[in-house]
Amino acid sequence: MRLQFYSGKMNNLYRINRGDWHRLIQSLSVSSYNILAPVRNNGGIDYTIINNETRDEIVYNEAKPATPLKMFFLPVKLNVTRTVSDAKKTIIIGAPACDIEGLKLLDLIYLDEKFSDETYLSRRENTLLISTDCYCTQEHCHCTTYGINPYPAKGCDISLSSDKVDHYLMTWSEKGDQFIKELASSGQIDQVDKNKIEVISEQRNRTIKSLSEKNESIPGTEITGTIVRESGREIWKKYSSKCVSCGACSAICPTCTCFLLIDRPGFEKVKQLDTCQYPAFERVAGGEDPLKALSNRFKNRYMCKYAWRPKRYNVIACTGCGRCIEACISKINKNELIMELI
Amino acid sequence: MRKLKILRTCGNKVILKRLDYKSEILKQIMGLTVSELKNINFFENYSDNHLRFFSEISSVKEFKVKEILFEQYDQLSDLYLLLEGTLSLGISLAKEKRIHLSSIQPGQLFSWSAVFEPQISTAWVMATGPAKVLAIDSKKLRKKFLNDCEFGFLTISKIARTISNRLSDTRFHLMNRLTI
Amino acid sequence: MTNIYKVLRATVEEVIDESPIIKTFVLIPESPFKFNTGEFIELSLNGFGEAPFTPSSSPLITDKLEITIMKTGYVTEKFHQLKSGEVLGIRGPFGRGYPVEKFFGKEVLILGGGCGLAPIRSLLFALEDVKDKLQRIILCYGSKSPSDCIYKPLFSRLNRIDKFETYRTVDKPEPGWKESVGVVTTLLDKVRMKIENTVAVVCGPPVMMKFGTIRLLEMGYKDDQIYLSMEKNMSCGVGKCGHCMMGEFFVCKDGPVFTYEEVKNTPDLWK
Repeated sequence: MRLQFYSGKMNNLYRINRGDWHRLIQSLSVSSYNILAPVRNNGGIDYTIINNETRDEIVYNEAKPATPLKMFFLPVKLNVTRTVSDAKKTIIIGAPACDIEGLKLLDLIYLDEKFSDETYLSRRENTLLISTDCYCTQEHCHCTTYGINPYPAKGCDISLSSDKVDHYLMTWSEKGDQFIKELASSGQIDQVDKNKIEVISEQRNRTIKSLSEKNESIPGTEITGTIVRESGREIWKKYSSKCVSCGACSAICPTCTCFLLIDRPGFEKVKQLDTCQYPAFERVAGGEDPLKALSNRFKNRYMCKYAWRPKRYNVIACTGCGRCIEACISKINKNELIMELI
Repeated sequence: MRKLKILRTCGNKVILKRLDYKSEILKQIMGLTVSELKNINFFENYSDNHLRFFSEISSVKEFKVKEILFEQYDQLSDLYLLLEGTLSLGISLAKEKRIHLSSIQPGQLFSWSAVFEPQISTAWVMATGPAKVLAIDSKKLRKKFLNDCEFGFLTISKIARTISNRLSDTRFHLMNRLTI
Repeated sequence: MTNIYKVLRATVEEVIDESPIIKTFVLIPESPFKFNTGEFIELSLNGFGEAPFTPSSSPLITDKLEITIMKTGYVTEKFHQLKSGEVLGIRGPFGRGYPVEKFFGKEVLILGGGCGLAPIRSLLFALEDVKDKLQRIILCYGSKSPSDCIYKPLFSRLNRIDKFETYRTVDKPEPGWKESVGVVTTLLDKVRMKIENTVAVVCGPPVMMKFGTIRLLEMGYKDDQIYLSMEKNMSCGVGKCGHCMMGEFFVCKDGPVFTYEEVKNTPDLWK
């Protein structure tokens, strides 16, 4: 794996006035970077390309954008046999901690030593991730259930925290430090003592407290894995009775990345997002299909998320972002199911 | 159908004995020695005394190609073990319409119905090549079960394994028909 | 860095009819192609589709590759229409093959059924190359009928080689069939192995693998003595697309060869 992040001792902390930061972003957006940042959208927030029209609308520190981070590295449809050209570098501002945590699993899948995915690696290398603290939460956020804090840690390039006046930028990688150095030439960024991060700890703690109170009875990954493994059939039949196999939960999930390889002339291949929720996902040539029944497909995703992926990769697969609950057409709530299993 | 066998000649007289076609066609009356039995898988775990007993109550029979050892629904009196050669086992749907289900391999037991009431065969067995079979007298075997429980349980366990394998293979065969 | 989705081109040199629904394609790759026996490739029909197959040729030969394909669906039907001279794409080799070194000093019992003989044929070539290090190699093969038996010349050739023995059986005999009748598990009583020093290799349709494995376990084989080749919907071949997942395993990366010990706790193993 070629992406390196600091573990905590090597970080550097910088401070910049909010207005100055805003002006810096303006100038960057017209030069050598594509900048994506969250703006208000349809009652929530979501990423948009920052240009003259949108740059005044950037929203900071307000929980998660609707689009999961995986979409930038694993687009819905991508030709994977064409040579990757040197793309313009991208900065993503506003990636929440839950999505950054999810990237750990994606890196393990796509950047394994023997079969590294070129297109994924080039996108990861050419993207600067500026992750932000969450100072408010959405109805279904429950990252703390799975051991994630609502503020960034190892896995991003820069983490951005804010108070009323300033943004505090903590670097978590050489790429992050490099970027700050480039900006520092403008003279508006100061390096400060790492302890200064304490000024925003009150805000962080408030978010953690509200999450913990709301979600205190939801069990963590290991317990969930065990109870899902040992569950009988009835509960899956019950909850999947409303499921229509639309696959929205997989599409919006930051860690669901299963795909289809479609052939094109000239032996080209197109990688397209797929999901175990669709029929025939596991059907073999002889005609047998272990996931033919909808309730089996429905259970499969829970087994994968809470038992198989954590066991295989030793990282969490469900980051508690709650997007699957928001996206489900039939309003199926995975936490209700899990609590009923206990 | 009755087969006639020339038993002996006496001067000019030829003494014939009518044999019922179901009775044995004996070429060799001897059985196998204890050391010969020890080479056969089926006789593993028996004591030498037990093996001597088997030696006394069994005999080797030979069959030619296309010879029928017994038909489906025949009354059976011997437990058989194939020593050499090839036999075929099957059922008949109608007279003369034989369905070959399975070969019996050397070392395998058959005619196990001889050991249990009502001693009626569940299938026919035919020699598909020259074959040598060990025939174990089931009446004497059953009598021994009553006297020697350890021997009885060991033998019944081995017979049960054969029946279990037969059932499992039949289900395997059925699955092949049903799924592909 | 090589692109894991790009193909190596290969030309069809010959098409061999093995049975009414099975054909073997002899391919010439545009550069030498190395694989270990039991590993698989993803074979592409230009612009149409891709499917996983285990080569049935010897792993010692790198300028020719033989792939045996059964006509079972959309993509395989198109493969069956191929003529010599057409160009296919190969990705691979992928997966974990048979660990032949672990068989040294032992007897090898191979149980094959139907089209499962394809990977077994490749294994037999590999074993032939190292037969001095093996005690005995026994092949028990079952097909639905004599016409469905593939690689017909293979059996007589092997029977002439020292240390090899082959036995065949069919579910449904045809006139003139002189060998055994019945499912392949019936052959297991015929072969006398030193079970403690044997490795058993089972390869065939799921029903056959299930009954074969159960019979071997009943006979006294331990879980780690039985090698299975699992069939799953392999697509990317590199442990990413998720189609071949079997519990926490990726059959394309951790298999397709597994010992029964490794997979025995997988729910719905034989589905």
